[in-house]
Amino acid sequence: MKRSYLLFTIVFMLFANFGAQAQWKKGKAHKDTTIWRYDIECEGVAKQGAKLVKVWSYSKNPKHAIASAMRNAVHGIIFNGYAGGGQGCTSLQPLLKDPSIAEEHEAFFDAFFEEGGEYLKYVSAATDGSIAPGDRLKVSRREYKIGVMVNVMYDQLRKRLEKENIVKSLTSGF
Amino acid sequence: MKESKLIFCLVALFSFTIVFGQAKKPTLMIVPSDAWCIQNGYSMTFENQGSTEKIADYKRAFQENPEVLQVISQINGMMADRGFPLKNMESVIKTISSNSAEDNLRQSKTSGSEIAENPIDEFKKAAKADIIIQLTWTVNKTGPKKSINFNLQGLDSYTDKQIATATGTGAPSFSAETPVLLSEAVLSHMDNFTNSLQSHFDDMFENGREIIVRIQKWDDWDGDLETEYGGGDELGFVIEDWLQENTVKGRFNTTDMTENMALFEQVRIPLFNDRGNAIDARRYVRDLSKFLSSAPYNISNKLVMKGLGRATIILGSK
Repeated sequence: MKRSYLLFTIVFMLFANFGAQAQWKKGKAHKDTTIWRYDIECEGVAKQGAKLVKVWSYSKNPKHAIASAMRNAVHGIIFNGYAGGGQGCTSLQPLLKDPSIAEEHEAFFDAFFEEGGEYLKYVSAATDGSIAPGDRLKVSRREYKIGVMVNVMYDQLRKRLEKENIVKSLTSGF
Repeated sequence: MKESKLIFCLVALFSFTIVFGQAKKPTLMIVPSDAWCIQNGYSMTFENQGSTEKIADYKRAFQENPEVLQVISQINGMMADRGFPLKNMESVIKTISSNSAEDNLRQSKTSGSEIAENPIDEFKKAAKADIIIQLTWTVNKTGPKKSINFNLQGLDSYTDKQIATATGTGAPSFSAETPVLLSEAVLSHMDNFTNSLQSHFDDMFENGREIIVRIQKWDDWDGDLETEYGGGDELGFVIEDWLQENTVKGRFNTTDMTENMALFEQVRIPLFNDRGNAIDARRYVRDLSKFLSSAPYNISNKLVMKGLGRATIILGSK
C-alpha cells in the first residue's frame, strides 16, 4: 500500500514538473520577445484579403523567435505596416495610424496578444515550418534573428478591430 | 405600463439619433481614363472649330474589352466588402439610354402632354458620381517579360481634387497572362487606395465637406455684385461675410470676383444643420439664397445644384 502511494506521488510530481517546465518555456519565449523587437517585410501578393509577410524576430533562443513570429506578424500589421519592395509589393500603412488609440485600448491588446490569444485566429504559417538557412542568422554571440514567412488575414483582422471601434470603417459616419 | 412607455421613448430617441446622425454618403464609380481609352482605340474623333478632338468611347470599351470588366468587377467586389458598393458605369449608361427612350414615348393619359424637358435637363443625363475612380493601366513588355503599370485615382467630381490614389508597377513575370497580372495589381493596390479614401473621409468629418459655390447674374437684372446695400458694403463682400460666418472654422477661398460673377472654392460646409439633418451643397446654399432674397437685399434668385458638392445662385430672378 505504502509503495503504491510512493509511486503515485512520484508520477504526479513528474507530470507537474513537465507541465511547469513547458509553461516556463512558453513564458520565457513570450518574455524574450515581449518588447516587440522584430522587422516585417512583404513577401509578395497573397490571396484576396490576406498579406504574405516575412517577420524577422530576435531572440537568444532560435526556438523562441520562431514561436513569436506569428504574434509579431499580427502586431506588425496592426501597428507598423511595411515598406514596399520586390515581388509586386506595395507599401502598407498600419491599421492603427494613431499610437494613442493603442494606449486607450491597452486591455484589449493585452488580452489579444497574450500567449495563445485571439491573434492566432488571424495568422497562419505560409510554409511547412522549416526555416531556410538564409533566414536563420546569428547576429551576435548570444542572439539570433529568425525569418518566418506567414499569412496574415488582413481583412478579417481589420473587421475585428472595426468591431471594437479601434479602427474606423470606411462607412463610419455615413 | 409606465415602464413600457419609457422603453418606447428611449428606442424612438435612439432611432432618431441613428437616422439623423448619418452624413450624406457619396457615390463612387470607376471610369477607364481617357488616356487608357485613347491608347486602346476606344475613342471617337470629331472636328471642333477647326481642331481635331478625341473623346473616350466608354460604351465600346465596356462592350469590347473583357479586361476592363475584370478589373472593375474585382475593385467593385473589394469596395462592396468595405461597405461601399460602387455604381457600375456600364449599367448606368444602359439605364440612361433606356430612361431616355421611355421619356420620349411617355404621354399623359388625360391631356396627352409629354414629359417637360429643357436643354439643361437633356445635358444632365450623363453617367455621374460624387467620386470618380479613374483607372489606367499599361502593359510593359521587355522581350518575353511582362509587367503592369497600374494607376487608380479618386477624383472629387465637384472640386476636381484628387482625394485618393494608388499607383505602382507590379512584379515582372515571364509566364503570367495579363489578366493574372492585372488581378495581382488590384490586390496589391486596393488597400492603399481605401486607406487614402479613409483619410479623405476623416478630414471631411473633422473639417466639413468641401464644396464649390458660384454666384452669377441673369443678363436682364439691373444690379450686380458691386451694387452697394444698407451700410455701404458691396454685394460681393456681403456674400463673403455670410460665408465667413456659416462655414466650418470660416474656411473658404474667393477664387474669382467680378461685377457679374463670383467663384468660391474650398468652402467647408458642416455635414449637419442645426436640426441634425445631413446637408449637401444645395441645402447649404439654400440658406444663402434665402438670405439674399430677404430684406434688406430682396434679390430674387435661382438655385442650381450639381451633386453633393457644387451649387450656383443666379441673381435677378428664378
